Amino acid sequence: MLSSSSSKPPTQQLLQSADLISQGAEAAIYKAYLRQFSTSGHGIGHGAALEALEPVLLKYRFRKHYRHLSLDTSLTRQRIAGEARALMRCMRSGVIVPGIRMVDVNEGVLGIEWIDGKSVRQILPGGAELEDISELGEVDEIHENGAADSIADYGVSRGRTVRMLIGSYSTSVDALMDMIGVEIAKMHLADIIHGDLTTSNMMLRKQTSDLVLIDFGLAYHSTLVEDKAVDLYVLERAFASTHPDSEPLFAGVLSAYEKRMCKHWLPIKKRLDDVRLRGRKRSMVG
Amino acid sequence: METYYYSQFNHAVVHVALFDDVTNAAAIRSRIVQAARNLGVDGNTERKAVNFAFIDARLISSPLHLQTAIYQALLSEAQGQLRTKTVHSEILWALNPTNNITEAIRRYGVSDESTKLIVVRVDVSNTPELQRRMCDIIQGRMVPFQVLSQMTDWSIIKKHYKLDSESALKEVQGNLDRERSIIDNIVVSSVAMKSVMT
Repeated sequence: MLSSSSSKPPTQQLLQSADLISQGAEAAIYKAYLRQFSTSGHGIGHGAALEALEPVLLKYRFRKHYRHLSLDTSLTRQRIAGEARALMRCMRSGVIVPGIRMVDVNEGVLGIEWIDGKSVRQILPGGAELEDISELGEVDEIHENGAADSIADYGVSRGRTVRMLIGSYSTSVDALMDMIGVEIAKMHLADIIHGDLTTSNMMLRKQTSDLVLIDFGLAYHSTLVEDKAVDLYVLERAFASTHPDSEPLFAGVLSAYEKRMCKHWLPIKKRLDDVRLRGRKRSMVG
Repeated sequence: METYYYSQFNHAVVHVALFDDVTNAAAIRSRIVQAARNLGVDGNTERKAVNFAFIDARLISSPLHLQTAIYQALLSEAQGQLRTKTVHSEILWALNPTNNITEAIRRYGVSDESTKLIVVRVDVSNTPELQRRMCDIIQGRMVPFQVLSQMTDWSIIKKHYKLDSESALKEVQGNLDRERSIIDNIVVSSVAMKSVMT
């Protein structure tokens, strides 16, 4: 009934009507609407007021022409399936992640819940520098209030609410670090390794002020202490390289993580110290 | 009745309606079974008359749950990858967590005891008098989808999706709203990712 031999596949048409948000080497990110909607029941396309429902984020793993077609198809399929399964495991374990909205492995598209909010990187001072020009106004504000004011006092009064810094997000930097630690701990307790923990891969949802972990493209399942320690180490380095004076920030993350992990913390702490000395790659000598 | 438009699927139009106090569920079910068995010209007209998806509304956690199943069914049809015979039965299949078609229809389709039903019709364009045709088949009251949340039977959904022992729910014990929103999120996501579940 709906088969369309002449026109493009539906997901390609959907991408065509979507807004490109960002573009990387592996995938492109779009904002799109899966359907339009009318409650009247009598409305026939034109004339009747059509409302688009909630937006979705589409992660399009486009065709890589440097790979053989069949290898490319199977890799894309595996990665989409892997990302979707990691998200599902997280959801079932109570880690706050975006919900899945559609999957089309044939075209290489994963559709997930649109999170209305900002990345932690944008919220914390220093991280905003490299962000979109269009948000420059906001960025300046963050800078003046943030870098000059709030961050300078971190050592002394880290507990104070930095409302002006976080703007409409009603939370303090301390509470934010706490939430990050808790979410990572919940994820590690479920034996999920994120694989790319950075402050850009965490978002603060506008309405509820939930901390949402995003981008599970590199996530995998592992029970190894080594993998969890490296996951934390990657985040520590990300903090250090994007946010000035990040030591107290990351310490806040770790202390919340420690509390949540209970008895599992000690081996990870020991391993994290090892990893700090050698870097995230294990020595291949001996 | 609500209507969804999909420009990416050759402008498919999907009508959904929610009915409460349905009194003739058994008759509807036997009509569908008869229509499927009857091969002649009579069968064709009868199949046309019951060419809808009838879904047990108690098992639907939110409109988004239903919309997601419809979306994946439309996608399978457009790609020539239907696992069941029609796009309407495919919606039922998408809703069920396992790959068993009979089980999907038995669980999510109309049963003799159903009193709350969702009716779905996938079409290429707006069909005239569709609402009347729905009401011809179903003896019941058409209600707005805002009522759906009061019909949902969360304990059966939890059982089908094996959510009882999940740590996500243990954590929010006692907070019913939070628990339901977590269940809804898991269920919607499961429907969306069914094709890559295994």
